[in-house]
Amino acid sequence: MNSPFEPVLDGLTRQRGVRASLIVSEKDGLVVDSKVRFGEQGDRLAALAASIFRKARLSARAAHLGAVSFLQLDAERGRICAVRRDDLVLVVVADAAANVGLIRVELLKALEQIQ
Amino acid sequence: MTDEITRWSEELARDPSSRVFLQLGDALRRKGQLDVAFKIAQRGVERHPNDPEGHDLLAHIAIARGDLARAGQAWEAVLRVAPDHAGAMKGLGYVCFQQRRFDDAERYLAQAAQNGAGRDVIAALETVRSRSATDTIATEDIAQSVDSRRLFADLLVDAGQTALLLDTEGYVLGGVYLDPDGTDVAEGVGAHLTGISEEVHRAMRRLDMGAWKSIVFETQVAVVAMAPAPSDALLIVAASRATPLGLLRRLMGQCSERVVEWMATNGRGTANGHRPGSRQ
Repeated sequence: MNSPFEPVLDGLTRQRGVRASLIVSEKDGLVVDSKVRFGEQGDRLAALAASIFRKARLSARAAHLGAVSFLQLDAERGRICAVRRDDLVLVVVADAAANVGLIRVELLKALEQIQ
Repeated sequence: MTDEITRWSEELARDPSSRVFLQLGDALRRKGQLDVAFKIAQRGVERHPNDPEGHDLLAHIAIARGDLARAGQAWEAVLRVAPDHAGAMKGLGYVCFQQRRFDDAERYLAQAAQNGAGRDVIAALETVRSRSATDTIATEDIAQSVDSRRLFADLLVDAGQTALLLDTEGYVLGGVYLDPDGTDVAEGVGAHLTGISEEVHRAMRRLDMGAWKSIVFETQVAVVAMAPAPSDALLIVAASRATPLGLLRRLMGQCSERVVEWMATNGRGTANGHRPGSRQ
């Protein structure tokens, strides 16, 4: 079955250095749709991304900083970038050396396509 | 919002004397287009020098740009045309607080409270009074170790910059977290970030991504960065949205060094945090 999110995820996964792209429900951390390379743990990534995004959003609200528009987690061997629309969090997992500026632009563009 | 910005821009182009500059400037500010927002507000104020809301808008944009002095001038202009403007008093309280003019900050905030400003002003007033008292204590007893609330004070040079150190349970170890109104919301922020460091650490290990180095998120008005600190603490640094990410990372690095020094010299650990809901 073709998912309505497939073109969005395909577009993101084609970016250089991107290992996985997922659409996740922020509320429960479940995967709505995903494109992950063999070996990537989609469910675990989804749960983590949803949890961090929720914490960031709630802390931003507590500090009266407005809505969170972009989130980036950097680790030694990779990075996770995420944006949100309504309850859906669009997540990209990339190599540590990937161009995060480009990924950010593509994520924000992709967000416009999610209804 | 983009449609509205287009509509307001067209309206202002048709009629440069329109007061729609207020909505347009504010919308651009919220979108982070601060330079354009500032120009529009400045032109609006030139055309409507007696409109307090124009000066107020200019002040808010100046704050977002990190220009504390310009914001102060704009709010003073508000009070010249509308002496009872509670928002301007609140704004000047924030500016004075950031400039460490605690007496002036207290005076402005007290005036704002008298003129019907919200409950947040009362909290801000308490913060100013406690900060002022803290400064007095520090002056009287320099030999005493650095007050934890002022841990990063000398590193935070621009308006909107704030830094906070939390322990593993989200309790405040040091620093403050000031919201755009100058209120210390450290405990609320800490409560929502409880356990994030441990959670990310555990997930990174299971995902074979190595140690986590930082989490950065952008909001409508700020950029916030978090990084692991010694003793499983969490360092949080925030700055205005106009702050380049490279500069934020540099500030984060300086704050991290400060944490290491402070923990080493004060023997601080996670046990010294205070619970959300209690004041230091």
